[in-house]
Amino acid sequence: MASLRLIGVFLKINLQIALAYRADTVVNILINFMWLGWELLGLSIIFSNTDTLGGWGPGELIALLGVFRLVNMIMAAVIWPATEKFNASVRDGSLDYTLLQPVNSLFLVSFSRIVVWRIWDLILAVSLIIIGIQMSGGAPSPFNIVIFLLLVISGALVIYSLWIVLVALTFWFVKFDNNVTILQALMDSGRYPVTVYPPWLRLIVTYLIPIAVATTVPLQGLRGDLSNWQVLVFVGIGLGAFWTATRVWKAGVRQYSGASS
Amino acid sequence: MLRIYRRLWQVTWAEQWQYRANLLMYLLYWLVSPVIYLAVWTTIANSRGSVSGLTANDFVTYYMTLLIVDQLTSDITLHVFAYKILDGTLSGELLRPVHPILTNTLMYNIAFKALTFMVLIPIWLVLYLLFQPDYSMVTFQSVLLSIPAIILGYGISFMLGAALTCLAFWTTRIYSIMEFYFAVTTLFSGQFVPLQLMPPVIQQAARFLPFQYFIYFPIQIILGRLPIETILWNFGYGLVWLVVAYAIFRRVWREGLKRFSAVGA
Repeated sequence: MASLRLIGVFLKINLQIALAYRADTVVNILINFMWLGWELLGLSIIFSNTDTLGGWGPGELIALLGVFRLVNMIMAAVIWPATEKFNASVRDGSLDYTLLQPVNSLFLVSFSRIVVWRIWDLILAVSLIIIGIQMSGGAPSPFNIVIFLLLVISGALVIYSLWIVLVALTFWFVKFDNNVTILQALMDSGRYPVTVYPPWLRLIVTYLIPIAVATTVPLQGLRGDLSNWQVLVFVGIGLGAFWTATRVWKAGVRQYSGASS
Repeated sequence: MLRIYRRLWQVTWAEQWQYRANLLMYLLYWLVSPVIYLAVWTTIANSRGSVSGLTANDFVTYYMTLLIVDQLTSDITLHVFAYKILDGTLSGELLRPVHPILTNTLMYNIAFKALTFMVLIPIWLVLYLLFQPDYSMVTFQSVLLSIPAIILGYGISFMLGAALTCLAFWTTRIYSIMEFYFAVTTLFSGQFVPLQLMPPVIQQAARFLPFQYFIYFPIQIILGRLPIETILWNFGYGLVWLVVAYAIFRRVWREGLKRFSAVGA
């Protein structure tokens, strides 16, 4: 698998970059911890005033926080750093070098820059999910766990596809620096179950900028709230979105003409 | 002096006007979290009638007012000045016979506020229609009283922000410090929840810290929730904090400037 080997190489390079700034890595992890404490305090304030939020108990919200952090971790570790580099490379023409490589250009753009210390965040997120499920008392069946994983992957795929489309717009509108701000801005809505939002906001974060598909929906799958039929639809949406996004990306690359030539 | 400020106003306004689209994006970014907390707390209040005596409408008016107050009292000195210390471009500004932070950066801040406020108004009206807050408790008098409170709040926030920015003379990790400061202010200013819902320890601490002047205090005045004695006492205490913050800033600035070696100059 050439692409797996490439990811290994990327990880190694980025690990070396991170090791050059060890103190920064420590500070970043500490700050990350501080935010976790902050988020848990927020949840404790909410649940000192109520027993359920939108039909969800404290354990379930901690698990949701874990899923949110998981998705957020993927964005912060891989997607946001790639965006900055990509936007600049379209403007100054250095994308030429990426396109010349004998590897899928989308793959190179997405994964060549990885913020390694975020792996720590992955451990935290998974622990939160496990602790949250324990707290809510239900031991989910293996079948529901499989559905949960399937929905996390397809949800992440939906957001990744949306990101591809948004950054690909840079091929047409070169000075479109803010292409992903809307995605970043609405990210925070993933901390809480989508059922607490007023209808118009629910519509936006479910269909327009589908953060909820990657956060609320997987947990609903884990709780067994979704029928098999609904799970299939969500997985289908994930695959369909990715297929569409790769089409847009290819059209964009054809549109790209370099800056120097 | 006034002429300097007027001229700087023109320059900074023109400068910011170029980035209108960025402003809209910034606003969008900054709007989301209050709207989320508004939704979360009104859901809770609706399901139980009230939370610690606060009804759903109390939460709607709180967060809707917060959108305006936070915009007016927040400070961007760290974002627009710290890098000048780090990359050495500050040396150019030091040649001018005016204080770089107290003139140029202050005006830049105010121009930024004026512009974002213009964009905020239509968005706020849309949210007003969506959430339908009942603002009947707001009186002309309370709005009038909130103006000095907001100016005081901004004064403290600007001075503390400026003092913190000057730490860039000592460390390059200024953005980590900024994130920490952001978390602290969010907690103690009432940005996250109305302070009376916080655990008692945090409430006690918030009463003595300066951060409630950024958000909680002006909002409570506008919504007419404070008796006049409390308001007066708070104004007095806030003025003390303003003086303290100014003194801290002066000290840090002077000491920091001695260490400044103008990288790259």
